[in-house]
Amino acid sequence: MKKTLNTITVILFTLIIFGFSAAFIITPDSDFSEDENRVLQTLPKFSFAALANGEYSSDMTDYFADQFPARDFFVGVKGVAENVLGRSENNGVLLGDDGQLAVRLFTAYKSRFERVEEIDYFYEENITISLDAVNAFAEKSELPLVTVLPPRTIDVAASAFDYPTDISDSLGALIASGLSDKAGYIDLFPIMRERYDSGEYVYMRTDHHWTSLGAYVTYCEIMKSFGMEDEIIPMERFSRETVEDFYGTTWSKAGYKFVPPDDIEIWSLGNEDDFITRCYASKMVKGEDGKPVKVKESYKEFSGWMNREYLDKKDKYAAFLDGTHNEQTVTLKSGEERETLLISKDSFANTLVPFLSQHFDLVILNLANKQADLSLAAEEYGCDKVLIVYNCGNLIENNNLALIK
Amino acid sequence: MVFSSLLFLFAFMAVTLLLYYIMPNNKLRNWVLFVLSLTFYGWGEPVYIVIMILSIAEAYFLGFFISKHKDSNIKRARFYLVLSLGLNLLALLFFKYCNFFIDNLRLIPGLSGLSPIEGLKLPIGISFYTFQIMSYTIDLYWGRTGLQRNFVAFGAYVTLFPQLIAGPIVRYRDVDDQLSERRENIDLFSSGVRRFITGVGKKVLIGDSVAALYEYFKATGEFEPTSLGAWMVMICYTLHIYYDFSGYSDMAIGLGRMFGFRFLENFNYPYISRSITEFWRRWHMSLGTWFKEYVYIPLGGNRGGKLKQLRNIFVVWFLTGFWHGASWNFLLWGVYFGVILIAEKFFLIKILEKLPKFVGHIYALLLIGFGWIIFSFTDAAAGIECFVALFGAGCESFTSPAVTYQVLRGLPLIIIGAIGATPYPKKLWDKLCTVDWTSVGAIRVDGREEPIVMSSESLSTRGKIFSVVGLLGSFAVLMLSVAYLVDSTFSPFLYFIF
Repeated sequence: MKKTLNTITVILFTLIIFGFSAAFIITPDSDFSEDENRVLQTLPKFSFAALANGEYSSDMTDYFADQFPARDFFVGVKGVAENVLGRSENNGVLLGDDGQLAVRLFTAYKSRFERVEEIDYFYEENITISLDAVNAFAEKSELPLVTVLPPRTIDVAASAFDYPTDISDSLGALIASGLSDKAGYIDLFPIMRERYDSGEYVYMRTDHHWTSLGAYVTYCEIMKSFGMEDEIIPMERFSRETVEDFYGTTWSKAGYKFVPPDDIEIWSLGNEDDFITRCYASKMVKGEDGKPVKVKESYKEFSGWMNREYLDKKDKYAAFLDGTHNEQTVTLKSGEERETLLISKDSFANTLVPFLSQHFDLVILNLANKQADLSLAAEEYGCDKVLIVYNCGNLIENNNLALIK
Repeated sequence: MVFSSLLFLFAFMAVTLLLYYIMPNNKLRNWVLFVLSLTFYGWGEPVYIVIMILSIAEAYFLGFFISKHKDSNIKRARFYLVLSLGLNLLALLFFKYCNFFIDNLRLIPGLSGLSPIEGLKLPIGISFYTFQIMSYTIDLYWGRTGLQRNFVAFGAYVTLFPQLIAGPIVRYRDVDDQLSERRENIDLFSSGVRRFITGVGKKVLIGDSVAALYEYFKATGEFEPTSLGAWMVMICYTLHIYYDFSGYSDMAIGLGRMFGFRFLENFNYPYISRSITEFWRRWHMSLGTWFKEYVYIPLGGNRGGKLKQLRNIFVVWFLTGFWHGASWNFLLWGVYFGVILIAEKFFLIKILEKLPKFVGHIYALLLIGFGWIIFSFTDAAAGIECFVALFGAGCESFTSPAVTYQVLRGLPLIIIGAIGATPYPKKLWDKLCTVDWTSVGAIRVDGREEPIVMSSESLSTRGKIFSVVGLLGSFAVLMLSVAYLVDSTFSPFLYFIF
């Protein structure tokens, strides 16, 4: 009996080790992981130089990890195993009621040289610096300003988890008390939480973004703050198109493969084709006098504000405003000029565009890519109003908001 | 390369096993081990292969001189011994301790102009293989082992990848005959596989998970120090270092068996100790043995009076601490244990023996835990802060909601970890798997107790069932560990920041 068992042990072990090696060799390499939204390591080229400086071995290690067979399956197995011990948490993501996911652990930014990873606390000093920068801008600028700092999913969907809310609450309070009246701050913490608790689908379950409904709620608040309450377009006037099977970033991070996907809703008045979105890049060219001059040119433009190609991919949220660009404008094709709204933003603002573009010509600067010179842009485009949209996750994890001027 | 990586498991190990067992004889098999161990070692830092080969060559060649003179001209032999040890230690001192000395010398006024050597990276495993090489040289001089004439066999001993990076520190004389003649067989291989999987599971499933808890509690302390948080830092580190280190030793011992080697044990349930003296007989045993044999006893041991013994204990523990790392906290850690051991030797043990058992357990675990705080904080200020927080100093409250939450979520893992660090699970398992049970309980019949006797056949069936369950469980642990390893390389690039 013992002898047989030992033999089986050896055979099984050999089968597993060589089975995976063989599977690794046989399965074709993939270049891109949609789930992780990143380029995968492919077979590194051998050179003695790369070997000597350690690059070859580190690439080889990555190659083996990135191209490992049944990668997704194993990630899912780990997600299930973590739940066996009753943790309802994997890779820093909480699993709550009705498949609600929320990132719990963030990277707390302290300074360029110091940050703490995988933590639920934040550095008050760093956030205060950001808030002070908004106050200073509000003081300096003569344009009406509205500031929206969308809360994180963990702040909004608190009731779906048995995770304590004291950190969320102190973050909300810190921001609310840290911004001056001139900043025009809209405190979404209580608004979104209340809507979520009453069962409204304001935030995604599998992604860190809000839904189109969440964006609409915010749009109404923004309009009120600008004193344009009367012009708010009622919800009923929008037709809604539903795109199914959206598995967001939180889902990818969590590894809970059994959590069902979100829907993406596209709200429309049917006049999308009246609008045009242009993407701009600046580059240095040689001027007439031989000195370098900055030239801004449009490198991409499309009708409306959506790139529908993304709706067939995993990263469906990127359909709004074609994902990430440094500088964009949304105007009427007819060339008719309206009031211009300058938006300093991260990706949360992308779902606000379908609403706001009905009222304003939009100039959109990506603060997440450190496009922070609002005064310059306001002057260049002749802006009339300013809106800041920067979510609390970003606020904790970097200091970009402190860069605005 | 580390054992707990996909590249090791499914590329390096597969290739090594294949090449090893293709080779028809021991000589060629040693070649395979030597060459592949060097590859394993040089992975990531190929330059250090050169240092490794120089160290091997030095000890190998000087070994001939020691061997030649040790019976005829002891002075000459001693010269070569000192030369060999000196060269070996010089490499260790240079790579591991040089910058530490420079940094501290700079604190002396007038020497502040000294600058640390840039780009000096510690060759992995140098502390381990230096000690292994020295065991050969010293034993050769003492005549406890014979001369190794085969360079590849000696090279294979030093570089042997299973124990190269994190021990156990195998004495040359323990494997001398295994190098030239060893019999690989299915039973040994199979027990090696099970031992290896145990190690992988200990490291990946428990060690890494409690390490994440430890990191969390340590980081939390910086934002909001709490007493409970500090206790968790201590408890999680205590578990983490045991599961990490002993898991690595298990993998090493298991791998060794797959290639026909039998290494000595390195851990023996250290946390069930009832004194620090006992703890150090159970923790990293190969290091303790090394220091005892090559430092403590040559210094005179306990012969020559209490004062000398005191000195010897102190020297050993000063060195033990320093061996663990070129930093003051390791030195302090060594001296800390030195002082406790001396106290135990002179009076504490006698007191402890008279007290109930549980007092000894608490005493030992607390002192071990405090020790790990010293060990884990290279930043003295943070270490002191954590230590005093254990007793509530510097904390606004005993706990915070986030810390309580994390404790409750981590508790099942910590309990499993704590139970797993005792011999009971293994004892229970061995009992279930053995076939010679005679009685499994009793039943009341007519008011009298009658034992339930089972025929030996059905009992052995029970043993068989559990053996099969154990085998399947073992492979389940392996696959689960693979899942955890894959997950750890899974790094979604979130456009969150955009």
